Amino acid sequence: MEFPTLTYERLQVGEEFVSDTFLVTPEEIETYAFAVDDHHPWFFGSSPFGNAVAHPTLLGNQALRLRHSRYTVPGGLHAKMEFEFVEPIRPGMRVRSRGRVIDKYERRGKPYMVTEFTTEDETGAVLVRGRFTQMLFRD
Amino acid sequence: MATTTSTAVSIGQTLPELVKHIPQRRIDAYSGVRPNYIHSDEAFARKKGFRAPLAQAMMSTAYVSELMTRFAGAGFVKGGKMAMTFIKPVLAGDTLTVRGVVKEAQPEGARTRVVVEVWCENQHGEKTAVGTASGLLE
Repeated sequence: MEFPTLTYERLQVGEEFVSDTFLVTPEEIETYAFAVDDHHPWFFGSSPFGNAVAHPTLLGNQALRLRHSRYTVPGGLHAKMEFEFVEPIRPGMRVRSRGRVIDKYERRGKPYMVTEFTTEDETGAVLVRGRFTQMLFRD
Repeated sequence: MATTTSTAVSIGQTLPELVKHIPQRRIDAYSGVRPNYIHSDEAFARKKGFRAPLAQAMMSTAYVSELMTRFAGAGFVKGGKMAMTFIKPVLAGDTLTVRGVVKEAQPEGARTRVVVEVWCENQHGEKTAVGTASGLLE
């Protein structure tokens, strides 16, 4: 499989991406807690949802990196992010994100892409949905 | 952990702020480490015009999520929303203060959706991210 370099010209509005599945483990939650310095007790023990839940934003990077499933990405900057947290993310879930490019545009000479996404558990239930805008580096 | 109820919330109310120091080590844990990567490769970051690697903007959404989970509890973890615009890069070594002010409250089913204006400021008092977040309160 080839991974062509992502360019504004190559990117197509309507293009769809699917991530690999990812197992949410207590270790992943702990790593995330360290990274963002948030050790809320609900992430490590009981919560109002029964057992532990993960940080609501835990899977943001799975969505943000959807384009890497098809392209080599020269880098860029994250301009906007929208989240809707539909259901809690729980340890033991096998989750997958799906995205679709809904717009691309140039502003002040810089290229941008807009992606809508959902993140689902193994049954297809939506956990998180949202939209993000990324600026692409030209080289 | 106790969380807020809608009757205890007033428009204009200020949420307790969070202060987040962001060393390279936490960025590495968040984003991973590889060459030619603006979050972990200092030379590459300099080539792109930054004096240090950048913290991923997504880290600021996690900080806002923490602010809102402390405020709205389960009503943010299930039913929460967030819309952020990243207006200034955050560099390794920066310290962010995350703030929120209650902007509106609207009935939604049997609960109340409380919308909070949220933003992150760096150690120079410059806003790095702005937006809104909301949660459902009893």
